[in-house]
Formats: sequence, C-alpha cells, structure tokens
Amino acid sequence: MAALCGEFGDLVQIKKQLISVISLFCLSVCLSNNFYFLFKMQEDAQDLDALTLAKSYFDLKEYDRAAYFLKGCCSQKAYFLYMYSRYLSGEKKKDDETVDSLGPLEKGQVRNEALRELRVELSKKHNAGELDGFTLYLYGVVLRKLDLLKEAVDVFVEAIHALPLHWGAWLELSNLVTNIEMLKSLSLPDSWIKDFFMAHMYTELQMIKEALQKYQNLIEAGFSKSTYIISQIAVAYHNIRDIDQALALFNELRDQDPYRIDNMDTFSNLLYVKSMKPELSYLAHNLVEIDKYRVETCCVIGNYYSLRSQHEKAALYFQRALKLNPRCLGAWTLMGHEYMEMKNTSAAIQAYRHAIEVNKRDYRAWYGLGQTYEILKMPFYCLYYYRKAHQLRPNDSRMLVALGESYEKLSQQVEAKKCYWRAYSVGDVEKMALLKLAKLHEQLNESDDAAQCYMLYIQDIFSCGEQLEHAEVSTALRYLGQYYFKNKLYNEASLCAQRCCDYNDAREEGKALLRQISQVRDQIETPSADLFTPLSNSNTPVRRVSPLNLISFTP
Amino acid sequence: MASVHESLYFNPMMTNGVVHANVFGIKDWVTPYKISVLALLYEMTASKITLPERRRLNKLILPLQQGPDLTLGQFLQTVEECCPQTAYAVKLRLHEMADGELKDMEYFFSTLPTPFTAFDSEAYKTSVVGLFMRHMLLAYNKLSFSQVYKLYKSLQHYYHSHYAKPTDGQAGLAAVGDAVLQYLCKLLRDKNDNAPSRGPLSQKQAEYFLARQAYLLKNDENKALKPAALQEELNNMLKFNPDFAEAHYLNYLNSMRVQDIFLSAHSLLHYFDRLILSGSEGKSNGDEGYGRSLRYAALNLASLHCRFGHYQQADLALQEAIRIAQESNDHVCLQHCLSWLYTLEQMKGSDSTVLTEDSVKMAAHFCLPYLASLGIQSLVQQGATQGKTAHKLMDALKDTDILHWKHSLSELIEISLAQTTSIWRMYGKSTMALQQAQLLLNMSSLEPVNFGVQQNNTEAFTVALCHLAELHAEQGLYSAVSEILQHLKEQFPPHSQHAKLWMLCDLKIQFERHMNEGKYLLAEPLVTAISALNKTEGLYRKAQVLKALNRSTEAYNILQRLQVHCEKTKCTEMIIRVMLSTAELHWESSGFSTALPLLLQALALARQHHLQSLASETILHLAFTQLMLGVPEQALSVLHEAIEPVLAHGAIMDKGRALLLTARCQIAAAGFKLNGQGQADLRSAVFGVDTLNEAAAYFSKLNCKERLRDVYYLQAQLHRSLGQTSQSNKSAMLFRLLDQELQSPAPPVSMRL
Repeated sequence: MAALCGEFGDLVQIKKQLISVISLFCLSVCLSNNFYFLFKMQEDAQDLDALTLAKSYFDLKEYDRAAYFLKGCCSQKAYFLYMYSRYLSGEKKKDDETVDSLGPLEKGQVRNEALRELRVELSKKHNAGELDGFTLYLYGVVLRKLDLLKEAVDVFVEAIHALPLHWGAWLELSNLVTNIEMLKSLSLPDSWIKDFFMAHMYTELQMIKEALQKYQNLIEAGFSKSTYIISQIAVAYHNIRDIDQALALFNELRDQDPYRIDNMDTFSNLLYVKSMKPELSYLAHNLVEIDKYRVETCCVIGNYYSLRSQHEKAALYFQRALKLNPRCLGAWTLMGHEYMEMKNTSAAIQAYRHAIEVNKRDYRAWYGLGQTYEILKMPFYCLYYYRKAHQLRPNDSRMLVALGESYEKLSQQVEAKKCYWRAYSVGDVEKMALLKLAKLHEQLNESDDAAQCYMLYIQDIFSCGEQLEHAEVSTALRYLGQYYFKNKLYNEASLCAQRCCDYNDAREEGKALLRQISQVRDQIETPSADLFTPLSNSNTPVRRVSPLNLISFTP
Repeated sequence: MASVHESLYFNPMMTNGVVHANVFGIKDWVTPYKISVLALLYEMTASKITLPERRRLNKLILPLQQGPDLTLGQFLQTVEECCPQTAYAVKLRLHEMADGELKDMEYFFSTLPTPFTAFDSEAYKTSVVGLFMRHMLLAYNKLSFSQVYKLYKSLQHYYHSHYAKPTDGQAGLAAVGDAVLQYLCKLLRDKNDNAPSRGPLSQKQAEYFLARQAYLLKNDENKALKPAALQEELNNMLKFNPDFAEAHYLNYLNSMRVQDIFLSAHSLLHYFDRLILSGSEGKSNGDEGYGRSLRYAALNLASLHCRFGHYQQADLALQEAIRIAQESNDHVCLQHCLSWLYTLEQMKGSDSTVLTEDSVKMAAHFCLPYLASLGIQSLVQQGATQGKTAHKLMDALKDTDILHWKHSLSELIEISLAQTTSIWRMYGKSTMALQQAQLLLNMSSLEPVNFGVQQNNTEAFTVALCHLAELHAEQGLYSAVSEILQHLKEQFPPHSQHAKLWMLCDLKIQFERHMNEGKYLLAEPLVTAISALNKTEGLYRKAQVLKALNRSTEAYNILQRLQVHCEKTKCTEMIIRVMLSTAELHWESSGFSTALPLLLQALALARQHHLQSLASETILHLAFTQLMLGVPEQALSVLHEAIEPVLAHGAIMDKGRALLLTARCQIAAAGFKLNGQGQADLRSAVFGVDTLNEAAAYFSKLNCKERLRDVYYLQAQLHRSLGQTSQSNKSAMLFRLLDQELQSPAPPVSMRL
C-alpha cells in the first residue's frame, strides 16, 4: 500500500514500469481475451523466423503446427510458446473429444493427454531452475488441471515473484485461494499490483468492506479513471445489495466505456431488481449490437424477457448462455428462477442442482431449491435447503425470513421467532421480519411483545423514508390502537386510531376505536392524560416499554 | 470468464430444461471388452465344442454380459477355465483384428450373425444373447467416423496392453536414465491405476453394480465393499455420469453405515432431486411419478432422522409425508407412513399398540402383506413385554408365518424365527429357544439373488447367534461360546450396523463369568462398556458389582433409580431383577422379613408375565428367606415348586444354587445344627449328602470356588454328624485348600443364596 497511498510520483513510477514491460517485450501474444503476453526480442535472434511463423500459426489456432515449428528453438520465449501451444492443442482436442466420445460414461474421462508429458518436462526444468515467469505460469496451470492444487499454488506464487506484472498468474492464484487464512499465509511480492489482487480476493471472499477500502485507496492513488476498478466496486456494491450505489457506478462505467460487455450481466440484475424496464431494454439492445454471442449478452436478454414476464423466452436465452459456457453459474440459477415462474418445478430443481454442481457455494441456487419445495408445500423438506443457503450467507435476512416462515408452517414458533428476530437484527431488506414476528406474538397472545414489534416495525418503515408497496402499517396501527385501549392508555390509543384513518382498509375501525375512546373518557371524566408524558412530535406513539426490553423478551 | 482453456465439461442438450443423460437413447456402447465377448459368442456358434464345455460357457455368458469390463487377461483366463479351445480361438480372432487393420474390425462386425436371420441358433432376436448382439450392432452402426477409429485404437490398446505390460514396463524403465522422470512416471501411473479401478461402467453395468451393492448392504454387509472403497467407486461413477441418481441413493446408504448424518442427508436429498426429474421425464404418467417421488422423499427423510434418533425432526418430516400423501389419495404411501409412525412412537418409548393395530388392519385391507406382518410382529413384541398370554402371541406369529411363506417374504421369516427364539428365552424355556435358533441358522436363503446360499448376515441371524452364545454360556460351555463369538466377529466386524448386538452379548457373558468366579474387580471395568451399549443394563450390572463388593448403600441407591426408570419404560424383566437384587440387599442387613413382600410382588409380576425362569428364581429367593426365618419345612415345600423348571431349563449356576439351597433346607429340616449337636433325622440327612454332591458337581463345572467352599464346609459338617470321619476329613481338607486359595474369610453362616 505504501507505494500507492501517496504522491503522484509513484504513479509515474508505475507507468514507467508498465511501459518498460511493454517496450521490453515487443512481441505480444494474445492468449485469451483476458490477458496479454509479451515477448522478449533482443536475444535469440536466430529463433526469430521460427517464432514469427509459429506465432502466426498460433494466432490462427493451429497449435500443433506452431509447436512443430518451434521444436528445435532454445530461447525462453520460443520454449514458452512451444509448450503453451502443446497445452492448448491438448485442451482443444479434449473439447472436441467430449462431443465425439464413446458413450456418456466415457465423457468424464476425456482428459487432456498432453498434460502429463508437459508436467514431466516442466518439472524437470523447474527443478533445474530454468523456468521464467511465463513458463512458471504455464506449469502452474498444468498442475491445477491435474488437480495438484497445493503444488499449483506454490508454482503460481513463484511465477508471480518472477514476473509480478502478469495479471494472469494472479488470477489463477485467486481461484485457488479458498479462505482468508490461506491468503494471509501466502508470501507475495510487494508490488503495486498486489493491491489489485488483494482487493479482488476480498471481493471473492465476500469481505466487501475491506475490498471497497482497498479500491478506494487505489482510486485515491491515481487510478480514478480505471474502468476495471469502477466495475469491481460496482460488483462489490451489488454483492452487499447496495443497489443505488451500484447502479450509479455502472451508469458511470457505461459512459466511460460504452462498448464494454464484461460485468453487464450484473448490471442487468440490478436493473431487474429495480424493475427499470426501459433501461434494461436499452442495455439489451445495445449489447446485441456489440456482440450477441456472449454469455453476458444472453443473460441480459434473459433478464429483459423475464422482467417482461416472457419466461419461456427468458429460459431460452439462459440456455443459450449455457451453451456458450456451461460453467456459467449465474445462468443456471437464473434459468431455475424462470422455470419457477413457469411453474415447471422439476425443471427448476434440475437447473438449481446444476448450479450447485458447478459451485457448491451458490447460495441463490440453494435458496431457489428451498423455494421450489416450499411451493410444493413441503415446509420441512425445504428447511434443509434454506439452512444451507443461510450457512453460506449468515447475514442475509431473506434466508432467515424464509427459514422463519417454514418453521412457522411447522408450528415451531420458538424457532420461527428466533429467525425473524435475527433477520431484523442483521438488517432486514424486505422489512417483513418484524411484521411477521409481531403477528406471531399476536397469535401466541404475547401482546406486549407484539406491540413492541409493531412499534419497531412502524419506526422502521417510516425511517426508511419511501413508501413500500406491501407495507402493512395500518395493521400495525390497528393492533397498537387496540393494545393501548386495553391497557387504558387512551391518548396513545386515540393517536393510533387517528392515524388508522389515513389508510383505507383501517379507516372504519379507526373511527370505531375513536368513538369507543371518547365514550370511555366521558365515563371516567378524569383527565388521565396528565398522568402520562405528552406525545412527542415523532411519527410513533410513546412506547410503554423501551425497545431495549424487547431484546430480553425475544430470543 | 470464457477463456480458451476452460473445459467444456458437459454439453447441455436439453429439452424443456431437462438434460438427458443419454443423448441418443443408447444404453450400451461398444467397448473393446464387448468386442471380446462378441468374439466369444461368435466362436461358440461357429465351432464344435463338447457338451460339458458348452454348458460351462453358457453359464459364463450372463455374468460376462452384466459384469464390469474385464482386462483381456482376466477375460481370457475365465474363458480358458471353461474351454481352452474357445479361448484360443477368441484370442486368435482378437489378434487378427488388433494386429491387422481397421477393415478387419469392420469385417468382424459384418460377419456377425444378425439375430434377425439366425432363426434356429441361440442368437435368435429375443434371446438374451440375441438382444445383446442387437444392442451391440446398433451401437456400432451409430458410431461416427472418428468414433469408429477411436474404438479401433482402444481395441488395439486393449489387446496389446495385455501382452506388452510385463516386458514393456521394465524396458521402458531401463531405457530412461533420468531418475526423476522415472519416479514421476511411476507416480502418475500409480495414480492413474488407482483412480478408475475398473474403468467406466456402462449404464447397465453400473445399474447392476449398484443393485448388487445395495442388496449386500441390506443383507450381508460384510461382503459389500468397505465404506471408503464404495465411496470412492461411487464418486468415480458420479464423475463419469453426474445424472446417475441411484448412485446418490447408494451413497446415502453408505453414509448411514458410517453414521455420517451430514453426507447421508445431502445424498438423500440429491437423489430425490434427481429422481423428481426422471419422474417428470414421463415414462409412464408424468405427473403421477413426480408427485409420488415427492411423497417418498419426505418419508425417506423421516426414516433418516428416525435412524439417527432425531425424533422430533422425524416426526415433522413424517407429518409432511402424510399430508402430501393424503392430498393425493395415495393409500400405499399412507400405509408406509403409518407403519413408520408407530415405529417412531415405539422408539420414543410411548405406547403405540392402537396405531399398530390400525396399521395392520389397513395394510391387510390394501393387500400389503409385508407391512401387515411387520405390524403384527411389532404387536407381538409389544404384547410379549406387556404380558399378553403366550398362546395368543404364538398364534399370531404362526398366522404371519403362513402369510410369509405364501408370499415368500424370506426376510420376515427370519425375523419371525428370531422373535420366537427371543420369546422362548424370555419365558425361560431354553430348550425351545435353542431349537428355534438352530432352525433359523440352518435355513437357507430364499432371496432370488443368491437362492439356496446359506446366508447369515441379517439382524435376525445376529440375534439368534447371540441367544445361542448366551444359552451356551449358561451351560458353562465357554469354548463353544468363544467359537460363536468369533464367528460373529468375523461376520459382523465392529463397524457394521449389527455389531452392537454381539458386543453387548459378549460383555454380558464375560461379566457373568467373572461374577460366578468371584473376580469382582475384573467385572467392574466391563460395567462401563455395558453402559455404553445399553444404559439400563449397565446400571443394573453396576449395582450387582457394588453389592458383591459390599458397597450396599450405593448399590441400593442405583437399584432404586433403576426401578423408577424401568417402571416408566415398562420393562418387566428388569423390574423383577431389580426387586430380587433389592431383596438380596435386605438379606445382608438381616432384614429377611422386609425382603418378603418385595419377593412376593416380584413373584406375582413374573407369573403374570409368564416369565418362568424369573419366577423360579424368585421362588428360590423366597425359600432362602424362609430358611433364614427358621421355617425350613415351609421352604422345602416352596422349593419343590421351583426345582423342576430350574433343573429342566435353568442355567448351571441356578441348578447348583437350587440344589445347595435344597440341601441346606433338608439338613435344617432334619434338625441338624451346624455345630453338630442335637437330634437329627439321619435318613433325610443322607438325602442332603446326595444333593450336596450334585451341587458340588455343578459348581465345579463353573469354577465357582466360593460356593464350592460352602458346599465342602456343609459336607464336612454333615459327615461328621453322621459319624463318617474319613469322608468328613476329606471334605474338610478340600475346604481348607479352597479357603487358603481364596484368602477372603468365609462368612460364618453363608448369608447368600
């Protein structure tokens, strides 16, 4: 961080480094659409012809041909290209074989035959210390493909030390780091790129706060125009469901980088959640113009159709996304959601199961499975799935509310109460937990607790400012009115009753309650109001028990 | 991140969101092994073979078709054992293809007799062989250009690897000089050899494998793969075909074996998620199959929780299953739910007789013999503990037996026999119990899978064998016992699900033995082990040890606690035992009169429940109390009632004790005082001598030295009173020897039974 946090001079330093890298390696090889490889030129001029030829073949994806012409070359870069061609050739053949295999059971057995030879050769060179940064990276990839993850991590770290500016190696390493302890135990070179990596890792490990801090530092250090950082921050906000912030950032990103397709599926998710139809439609059309055969594009279109309730078409586009990349996790889950909408529960279950197969930690798929079984009226059965989802996202109120509802259906009120209260404590997104808790207390005749919850609910609703569609403030007010009336707190009761009259569905009851109160007051004719503290100006009635006490009541 | 080297792991070919495992609907694929089988079939039809050889080969065909792919070596060896000539011919034919060209393989397939033309041969289209050949031909014809070439390549590899392996390996190693390289090659090869131990299975082979393992898990766990190996095999299978739902179910069963709730719940739910799909795919009635699996999913979840002892969870799951089944009017499923409901109630320890009766009635109504007789067996068990009359229970069992034989429900026949054994033992009729246990053990399996094979790895067999061991222990035949236990240990290794039964039995036998031999300190550590397996039993044994070590207060406290507990759980046998032990404690404080009401109560209970052995035991106690209270004549008359059943059915220890008591009563009734004074009836004293001799024989069989010492003491006294000095001296010497050996001082007058 020290290199970044400070003066502008460091930024110049970084730029110099980058330029030097690029000028040193004048021959660049495009390896994939994500990262770029650069090649040294001065040395080994005798290999130049072969290298140039092989490079052309490589670009044309004729890997075997490229490897053949590079066979005798001894320079580092020729060696790398040679090995990399062999590797990619094996991968390509493997993919082709998958379609043309001898039976479905053999399918899983198709493997890259080149891997083992590559490993043997590379390990020999590795032991002799002859590998440079790129070849080390390749060695790491080979090891990872052979499921030798521990060795792969070591090799990637080595590769990073050899060539810190190669982002590909960092990315591969990030896929292998599973938890924060492992991350801390790695010895990484102290380069400015390490901060990018750390921020990326924090996002992956769902440590959003730390990630945002890192990115903020990077922006302050001078990377404010980097679209990469903006997109990453937007994704981070999306992960913590700060929708407005994320939307703003994505809009900014689209201004700066209008032909960008990466991360646009996340953007469309946000637009979907906010039901912004025109924006989503615009985005979809725009992306189709740029490239219609991208996974992201298909997902955006799927979202678009889903928002228009054309679920068959939506499912079709998600399927197309999966054909483009079967390991695309989001599409499986989204397709599950579509089938749910179409009431095709069995297909939904299948889609969710596939999502889980790709990534066991996909909480949305577990949640979706739970929902499916809930629709099938199997509240006990869905508990397992909701619990799984909750395990993965312990602080997400939606899972907790879902768990609570299931427990309520199974008449396990104690557990249900715990869930609702916890959902409220972790910050309820849908603002439903308190209402449900209150109703539960009401059912169990725990009127004090119920009143407390309704009160908190009203506070919650009004404090968030906007009017939510499903808000049942009237229900809460009605109950509170009756509650105060029963407890002979007529001032508070009349206040509640008056506010009841603001709502259509509770108007009559409010009026009736007001009449009752005035009757009772006439009978008593003693000004009971003096006994109580006057009402405050706030929206809520005065509470009889402080909210702190509620905690002791509720588990 | 759609980078180039992200592999396309699977290809989603779907209709309506459902990915089909078999894209082209072909279940069988041609493999080199299958070609070898085809070659074998071809040679069998083509060449002349002698009749016995043909018969052996015919027997071989089905296992070869259904089994997993063998290596060429294994395959040729099995064929060679049946008919060397054919094996050679097959080898030749394979050699022709593998060393020839692609066209040789194509030629082979074209010359295969098509089942449609060969009317009179075994390869007719509807025969097993014909079906197999049709499958193979169809699969071969559907192969694409590159697939045919690949098949040929793999055939070559298959053929050559058989011959090249031993020589090539060494030559290869010698040629490569680099040690590191060698090591790595070896490492990789090892890894490769281990992972897919038998190569990928075809759909049918996988199904066969799963069915076989599931059957073994249920009936003969010992023969099934070890949990870890099975898990590995299943993982392997799922890697090749993630849509193979049944593998998840077997995974669930396997995890249950090792008591892994986490994995078993996961696999169970995964299985049903998958099953729901294949149900809706719609072979029969789509909607019906779908809903059905949902109901059974909930029911299975209930059974899972029940097995792990999560009764509340099980209850909730069961309620759910019942609700869904009711909504869809599925009576069969409801019936299953009901039978689980009463099982659950029983496990929770509450009375479920009414539920069970209902279940039996309904099951009979819906013609579900299995559930009906399972219910009856459960009723019989409850009835036995609650003291229903014996003939009713036996009648019920007999009726169900008729039902079982009619529907050949072999599993239930076994259970019924084991149950009869237990009931006879409970009633104290050891001979009958012995006979029933032998009947079960000598019965051959009726299962279609291994018909006629004597199989003995179900729970029923464990129970019968345990009874057998205990019965032998009662008779002091400890070498036989250890043989039986050794057999049990081999058949049910300690990790298997029924192992607890024999462990408890083993511990109990050891405990009894140590107690009989007076080695109380050795018996004490066993108590902890017993309590780990059965809490009530453990407490009771603890009380016994404490009593023997003269720590009466502690023993009394434990017995009181135990009695309260047993009265709650209605465990009559244990209540009576506890009462007897309490009475013995009273004796020690000379409270003979306080022991009497307890003993009478115990006697009433034992008679009410027809527990003959316990009743005779109680009578012995009563007689002893009376003897101590000074009414030996009365004691003798009471004893007469018990001595007959004890001698007929009792354990050796009981026989010895009964005879010793009789002798003491006889001596006392004859008017002897132990110090040898007073007038005595000599004739009855002679009876006493005989009885004592008999008792001594029994005790020496059990090596029960303390009681033997008592016997010698009494004998010496008696002989002296009768004036037989030499015999008296002999007994006295024996007594002296034992007394020195035992070291603990003998109680002045034996205060125990």
